[in-house]
Amino acid sequence: MPVYGNKTVAPNGDSVDYVLPDFSYVDQDSNTVNASTIQNKIFATEFFFTSCPSICPKMQQQMLRFNEKYKNNPDVIILAFTIDPQRDSVGKLNAYARKLNIESSKWHLLTGNKDSIYALAENFLVSAADDPDAPGGHVHSGNFILVDKQRRLRGYYDGTDEESVNKLLDETDLLLKEK
Amino acid sequence: MKLKRLLQLIAPFTLVIIIAVFVLNIITHGSIQHPGKSSYQTNCAQCHGDNGEGIRVLIPPLFHSDFAKNNFDSIPCWLKNGISHKISVNGVEYEQPMYGLNMDEIQIANVMNYLSKELLDSNREVNSIQVKEILKNCK
Repeated sequence: MPVYGNKTVAPNGDSVDYVLPDFSYVDQDSNTVNASTIQNKIFATEFFFTSCPSICPKMQQQMLRFNEKYKNNPDVIILAFTIDPQRDSVGKLNAYARKLNIESSKWHLLTGNKDSIYALAENFLVSAADDPDAPGGHVHSGNFILVDKQRRLRGYYDGTDEESVNKLLDETDLLLKEK
Repeated sequence: MKLKRLLQLIAPFTLVIIIAVFVLNIITHGSIQHPGKSSYQTNCAQCHGDNGEGIRVLIPPLFHSDFAKNNFDSIPCWLKNGISHKISVNGVEYEQPMYGLNMDEIQIANVMNYLSKELLDSNREVNSIQVKEILKNCK
């Protein structure tokens, strides 16, 4: 499986893989989610917002499949970042989680500072932006991103497409076998 | 004048070609595809699912939905303006807003007839003229 992002060169001449920078956000149960949460975890990431009328319902339907499959595997979690943090408070995310019947121990719905979340999307090498003309007022990538235990970006999948999400499930299994 | 020649050649076989397309359609789809099906896939399935199953308690089902069946005549206005209040479907409350879609009266009539027959198990049917009338009176 590939490793995405630009490699850098260490002072000793070794090439170093791109890794996700540190971050800190709050989930639907007011838990802080940061570097220690994802330590030694494989995770899938998505950018969404609760009032999203367009691609999000389909994305959530597909992410529910991921959630079901790894429900009992503590090595795999989901980080879903809202790109509409002004409206998506912790309370709003909590209500949304209850409607999807998901647990914050497995699937974190995360909110925080908007600029920081938009910058974070760039760190995942995907896009998120305000657009008054877009349905719901925001445009964002419908990608699911797979990240390994070393915080390296390992796969991009179309979260609205069942076939592509099948690939995500297969490649997550592959990552679980990687040492 | 090549085209004219070609048309002259094909003309006697027109009926055969039409029947062939018809039969091919039945073979590939198992039956004639309902004209509302593609409209359903484009406009509704994204949220309500390919078979109208909905998404947990977030998006209500359309399959055997009492709310859609009992308020069948309101569907054109929902499709036009969305729904922004809480609704109860088969005994469960839903509050995720539905957004209005950009569909014309023919698409709406097709999708309603598909819904009625395939998902609501109802014999209600509408045509585009009736839909146009309903749309005039949406609140």
